[in-house]
Amino acid sequence: MFKFIVCMKQVPMVSELPWDSRTGRLQRELAEGMMNPACKHALEAALQLKHRHGGRITAITMGPPMAEEILREAVAMGADRGVLLTDPHMAGADTLVTSHTLARAIEKECPDFDLVFCGCHTSDSETAQVGPQLAEELGVAGVAYVEQLELNGRTVRMQRESDDFLETLEMDLPGVLTLTPHYYVPRYASLVGLQDAFEQVGVDLLSADDLKLSAKEIGIKASPTRILNVFSPVAGKTNITIKGSAKKVVDELFNRFGDQLSGAIGKDFKTHDHDEQINE
Amino acid sequence: MDFNPCMKHKVVRKFVRDFSETEIAPLVYDLDREARFPWEIIEKMRPLNFFGLQVPRAYGGAEVDSISYAIIIEELSRVSAAIGLCVSVHNSVGAYPLVKFGTASQKKRFLPPLARGEQIGAFCLTEANAGSDAGGVETHAALIEDHYVINGTKIFVTNGGVCGTTLIFAKTPAEDRRKQNSVFIVEQGTPGFSVGEIEDLCGMRANPVSSLFFEDCRVPKENLLGHLGDGLKIGLDALDTGRIGIAAQALGIAQAALDASVKYAKERQQFRKPISSFQTIQNYLADMATEVDAGRLLLYRAAAYKDSGRPFGAEAAKAKLFCSKLATRVTNLAVQIHGGYGYSKEYDVERYFRDAKVTEIYEGTSEVQQMVIARHLLAEPT
Repeated sequence: MFKFIVCMKQVPMVSELPWDSRTGRLQRELAEGMMNPACKHALEAALQLKHRHGGRITAITMGPPMAEEILREAVAMGADRGVLLTDPHMAGADTLVTSHTLARAIEKECPDFDLVFCGCHTSDSETAQVGPQLAEELGVAGVAYVEQLELNGRTVRMQRESDDFLETLEMDLPGVLTLTPHYYVPRYASLVGLQDAFEQVGVDLLSADDLKLSAKEIGIKASPTRILNVFSPVAGKTNITIKGSAKKVVDELFNRFGDQLSGAIGKDFKTHDHDEQINE
Repeated sequence: MDFNPCMKHKVVRKFVRDFSETEIAPLVYDLDREARFPWEIIEKMRPLNFFGLQVPRAYGGAEVDSISYAIIIEELSRVSAAIGLCVSVHNSVGAYPLVKFGTASQKKRFLPPLARGEQIGAFCLTEANAGSDAGGVETHAALIEDHYVINGTKIFVTNGGVCGTTLIFAKTPAEDRRKQNSVFIVEQGTPGFSVGEIEDLCGMRANPVSSLFFEDCRVPKENLLGHLGDGLKIGLDALDTGRIGIAAQALGIAQAALDASVKYAKERQQFRKPISSFQTIQNYLADMATEVDAGRLLLYRAAAYKDSGRPFGAEAAKAKLFCSKLATRVTNLAVQIHGGYGYSKEYDVERYFRDAKVTEIYEGTSEVQQMVIARHLLAEPT
């Protein structure tokens, strides 16, 4: 029987994120949480494999107690159990420490796993680092940005989009994959599934002590990442008047907006080429 | 006393909201304009157990608690009141009386197709000369050999145009005035049973409300629900449960109108300011939010009473009375805040305004709710 693990994260639902401007961290307690969209697609990929090949799915997350919600949702969608890593010492972990903590939990709860699924990135921090780091921590192969996969015996064949072409990759089990939200369409949980997820299936809580992790190797204390600045992008409009001769105005336009124009048109504009043409 | 929703109720709300906004919202405008029943949405709702909300697991239902039930109807109605109505009526007065009063063989036969949503349920009481006065129905049933023969016309039957199994409230002669009515289970296709034209109504236009005709309609005597003469008992019980559904529906419409108004008030500029900066608009929004909140508390209390096995008739009547009235007030203010646009079909609040009114009328008018509440009040010892 295959043993699948889906790592997931609870992210804030709101588009206006309540940032703590002092620490540069998100004030998660102020936001309504939801399952990170890419994680939901990863869960769907695992559910489809389970239905085709059999197996058992463990959904796992690290977060505050309220993150239990997304594990219950995962169970309602078809996961077999939920594991919540929650401990005040785990708070504030960066991606490196998160993957370290997740790896230790996986080794404890499901050491003989076949495949770990992650979302390719999260909608709140967008680093896309935990999946690949988790493969390193677990000492197994990892493939990021998988679109679609199939399982043949102990080999996973995957496709991923890379620039303008589609790559086909193969990997032997066990391994870690991160899934994009493009191919798999997450199913809705049924109301029977939702009732059962709360009344029939338990979620296991694991603390740092349960994982035999000291306060020094988890959470914000162990995280080498320092956030210098985090801000919500601000859209604004400004009126700019460019004065002078036609050549001067055009040059100024290209100086100011050449990069954006290149991006939009798909051609590389260089101001000096333009100069040369004018000179000719 | 804990006023925070538990995790299960939060997740149920999130799930139904996600489903409604993704699958239903893109179609609501057209469904309302075309007065079309959305079978394609019903198809998607069937496997998710929307049609077996109060049916036990043994018969293929989800058997959700009453607060979840209220949340489900509220969230569906927040996007489409007509679909919320279909689901509410199907579950509360179409299927639930079978759960509560059906014999083992009736449950086995009729509940699974209802719970799977293969058959849509309905309950018909209202007639041309009987509505609030249930005892005044003229449709009658007579036992001839081993069949009841039903004759009469029912009007304004919610889900009437699409119902597969319907419960008919009919007169069955008896000496005791309170025992003169009974409820029968009639299936689509029974000879003598036919569906009239779909009504052209002000709101809830995606729900096929119609008349149902019974002309020497013969149903096996096994299709009598409960005992002969139990009609009023079953009807009143079904309506108690139904009122939780209608209150939830009215609340969903009001919430939608409030959400739309807050959004519009922040966007709409007049005198070079968003209209939300004007105190009058703020007062409107504050009143709307307060009413919606108060209605929700009344509704969840009635649902919680039902789950704990306490009598909840008066609580359900209060919730239905208050929520339906607040829905018309809140949607009225929503149109006012939207100004001319609110009166245009281009904006959803115009639909909310039309949909809200009937919640004060069906499953017991506001005046009947007041009667029920007063009866409970006056029966209490002083």
